[in-house]
Amino acid sequence: MKRDPVILIVIAVVISLMLAFGIQKSRHTPVQQSGAGQLQGQAAPDFALTSIDGKTVKLSDFRGKAVLLNFWATWCEPCKIEMPWFVELQKQYGPQGLQVLGIAMDDSGVKEIGDFAKKMNVNYPIVIGKESVGDQYGGIPYLPSTFYIDRDGKVIDRIFGLVSRSEIESDIQKALASSGQVAHK
Amino acid sequence: MKKKISPILCGLMLAGVAAGQDFSTGKRQSVTFEPPPITAVYRGRPNTVELQFRINSGYHINSNQPKQEYLRKTELKMDPPTDIAIEKVSYPAGEDRSFPFAPEEKINVYTGDFAVNVTVRPLKTVLPAKYAVHGTLKYQACDNAACYPPKQLAVSFEVKVLKAPAPKKRNPAQSPPPHG
Repeated sequence: MKRDPVILIVIAVVISLMLAFGIQKSRHTPVQQSGAGQLQGQAAPDFALTSIDGKTVKLSDFRGKAVLLNFWATWCEPCKIEMPWFVELQKQYGPQGLQVLGIAMDDSGVKEIGDFAKKMNVNYPIVIGKESVGDQYGGIPYLPSTFYIDRDGKVIDRIFGLVSRSEIESDIQKALASSGQVAHK
Repeated sequence: MKKKISPILCGLMLAGVAAGQDFSTGKRQSVTFEPPPITAVYRGRPNTVELQFRINSGYHINSNQPKQEYLRKTELKMDPPTDIAIEKVSYPAGEDRSFPFAPEEKINVYTGDFAVNVTVRPLKTVLPAKYAVHGTLKYQACDNAACYPPKQLAVSFEVKVLKAPAPKKRNPAQSPPPHG
C-alpha cells in the first residue's frame, strides 16, 4: 500500500519527461528532416534544370566547387532577406571556389522570377525548380531550404528556414574546406 | 498488484511516446475552417454569411491586400449552385506587422481568427430548399523563419432558401376625430 503513490508519481514523471522531449524535439526538427537528413554525408543528387535565361544547368557542372544550393520562391519573405547575403558571399568566396545556385520553387512565370532576380541583383544562376528535384533532396516542406555541398559533390549540411548571415558564412567555409569529409553537428 | 501495474505502466508510457511523436511530425494545419450553422436566406435579396477561419498559433498568412507585389494574397473563390449568386466577398483589414526575419519591414497579415463575409443572392425563382455552397480559400502561410507553399482550403456552408416575406401593408392615415 505504501508503494502505490510512489509508483504513480514515477509514472507521472516518466510521461511528463516523454511529452517534454517530444515537444522539444518538434521545435528543433523540421518536417521531413529524415528525408533530407539521410542525404548528409551522401552524394548530392544530380539534376538538370533550365535557368531563367533558357540554359540547361546541371549540378555536376560545378564539381570541384563548393555549392550553396538554395531552394527559394518569390513569395517567400525570409528568402528575400538572405538573397542579398548570397550575392555578397558569392562575390567574396567565388574566387575561392564557391558557387551559389538558386532553385526557384515558384508558380510564377519565368519572366516574373527573372525580374525578381534582377531586382535583387542576383549574381548567381537561378534555375526553375521542379517538385521531383525537391523530392530528390528529401522533400522541401518550406522555404528557404539550403544545402551545402563540398567540392566532391557530398552534402555536408542542410538548413531549413532563415538563419543568420554568420551561420551561412560558417557553412560556406566548411564546404570550401572539406573534401569528402562529413560535417557532424 | 505488480501484474496489474505493468500493463498500465506500459500503456501510459506508450501513450506518452505517441503524444511526443505527434508533436514532432509537424503536420499541423496552419489554417482551419469551421462551417457556420445553416443560414436562412431570402430569395431575391442579398444575404450575408460569415465564414470563420482560424490561423494556428505561430503562423501568419498574407492578407487580401498585401503590400508587397510578390506576396500571395489570401483569396476566397466560391463555386455556388446555379441559382445562387455570390454578390460580394468581403475581407477583413489585415494587420501591419514586422517579423524576426525582416524587423524593418511591415507585412500586412492575418493572425489568429478572422472572418470573411460572403453576400449571397438566391434568384427569385429558386425553389425554397437547403443548398450547399462550396469554395476554396487560397492562402500562403509563414512562421517566424520560413514560408510554406501556397495552399488551398476547402470551404463550404449550407443555406436554407426561403420565400421573401410579403411586404407589410401600411394602413392609410386616420382622419382626425370630429370636434364637438
